[in-house]
Amino acid sequence: MKLPKSSPPGPFRRSFWRSPIRGPWLTSVFGLMLLASIPVLFVTGLLSYAAYNPDLSPVNDQTPGKGLLGFYLFSWPTHPIWLYRLNQGVHVTLGLVLVPVLLFKLWSVLPKLFEWPPLRSPAHALERLSLFALVGGAIFEFATGILNIQTWYKFPGSFYPLHFYGAWVFIAGFVVHVTIKLPAMIRALRSRSFIAELRTNLAGTHTEPPEAGYLVAVTPAEPTISRRGVLAFAGAGSALIALLSIGQSLGGPLRRAALLAPHGQDVASPDDFQVNQTAASAGISESETGPAWRLTLGGYGQAPVVLRRADLLRMQQHTASLPIACVEGWSTDNQVWTGVRLRDLARLAGVTRPSSVLVQSLELGGAFSQVVLSAGQITDPDSLLALRVNGADLTPDHGYPARVIVPASPGVHNTKWVASLTFRS
Amino acid sequence: MFRFLRWYGAGPLHLLTMIACLALAGYATAELLPGNYVAIPVWLAAAAIGHDLILVPLYTLADRSAIAVFKHRRSSPAAVPWINYLRIPAALSGMLLLIWFPLIFRLPTRFPATTTLSLDPYLWHWLAVTGALFLLSAIMFALRLRARRIRPAAPARSARGSAP
Repeated sequence: MKLPKSSPPGPFRRSFWRSPIRGPWLTSVFGLMLLASIPVLFVTGLLSYAAYNPDLSPVNDQTPGKGLLGFYLFSWPTHPIWLYRLNQGVHVTLGLVLVPVLLFKLWSVLPKLFEWPPLRSPAHALERLSLFALVGGAIFEFATGILNIQTWYKFPGSFYPLHFYGAWVFIAGFVVHVTIKLPAMIRALRSRSFIAELRTNLAGTHTEPPEAGYLVAVTPAEPTISRRGVLAFAGAGSALIALLSIGQSLGGPLRRAALLAPHGQDVASPDDFQVNQTAASAGISESETGPAWRLTLGGYGQAPVVLRRADLLRMQQHTASLPIACVEGWSTDNQVWTGVRLRDLARLAGVTRPSSVLVQSLELGGAFSQVVLSAGQITDPDSLLALRVNGADLTPDHGYPARVIVPASPGVHNTKWVASLTFRS
Repeated sequence: MFRFLRWYGAGPLHLLTMIACLALAGYATAELLPGNYVAIPVWLAAAAIGHDLILVPLYTLADRSAIAVFKHRRSSPAAVPWINYLRIPAALSGMLLLIWFPLIFRLPTRFPATTTLSLDPYLWHWLAVTGALFLLSAIMFALRLRARRIRPAAPARSARGSAP
């Protein structure tokens, strides 16, 4: 089929697009912001996956089909203790504050969707295909991430594989786009002085010089906002989103400033702290956690050791101040945990040099009702089977009778309502 | 080779980058799709065009309607670009709604049971923030009008025209 040489009417005509401030410079300013931020978002995302130690055991791997894409995985460290808290806080908060920047960037290049002819050459066709990965991947990632932190699981499948593979689709499109557009971006940024632009009010706002691309309007309308106005607009959006959500990651009195964030509310009691899942919602009954509760310590080739809670309390107790940090970006301040060191329990199970431990919860069937911890996580002196927190017994929602707490580990790996620990040497 | 590149429309480096990155995107998509062969492609396609073909037309229509409705009012103080004092708080409020609509409309019904937190405050928080944004904008507009009256500037533009 032969396409008409002249473009069809409507958005395919350049005269349709009349914004006087669209142009390579404005697009490049938003592009530069994304260029600086997206790599941070991508790397913190990859680290977030590594933090689950998926290579240690299939039990830990939420994305078992990762194949080559898991090339970078490494054993997740236990120090600094705030590592995972910082990583997730940055990943989620940065993702949220980039929403306005992304929307403005997409708005600024909108006419290019309607270029005519739609495909000029095979190279151009491939470029447009890569834009599908870039824009589709970006919105897919933002949408799945934003819905997941609100625990509204309406996306088609488990969050982990969707967000993980989606990230690779997005980053592939991103790398192509940066490679192709970087010279044009640098040229455009040099074409106008940023400082001078910040001093230009509406009366002084004119279109950028005509260019070969599709951004500058050929029949511009009168401007209604200056370029600095648009930058302030986007900046105000980002600042507002940050102000209304960052408190859920920083904690303390700032938490209440996070008016629009899932964990921006204080919990009912002032001495208490946030939970990801209550005992009731995990199906934990009082009969299981009462006097009948036993901890089973297994060791490879050893007879299991069965302990009551009182036995654990008679062992040497250790105290560690550690935060709880969720993949969803919220976290708590450091809480004072008291309990038995995991390495002491390994020795009791007859395993002097543990290579891993399988932690199983009383919870049945949840995605995180069992987890495997690494040698480094077992031997860290602050890794505990906690019995008490902040000077009192654990509450049911915090994992009574006993829970794991490991420094710098994702919240869901700090298993609650522990039923058994099976060490391997 | 030269003929091929002329047919292709760009240099060999362009082609290599394209092949490498599209292979990566293809590999990741192939891993992604088995999760749900219908819903995942729909989500990806909606993600690719949803912004450009749904969100932008909607907000452009809203913006132009606001301009069309208010510009005919005799009292409209066209001496200042008033539209920004309306579109910016509205857009910021809309952006917050776009991000947080599940919490605002209390859609994640299991949230209170799993977290002990309430879904009730979000709608009120969003309305309060929206109110504050419009109030702040109104104050800034009033200050701008006052400054204009004290120190009249060169004849300013009206708010006519397209989206920003």
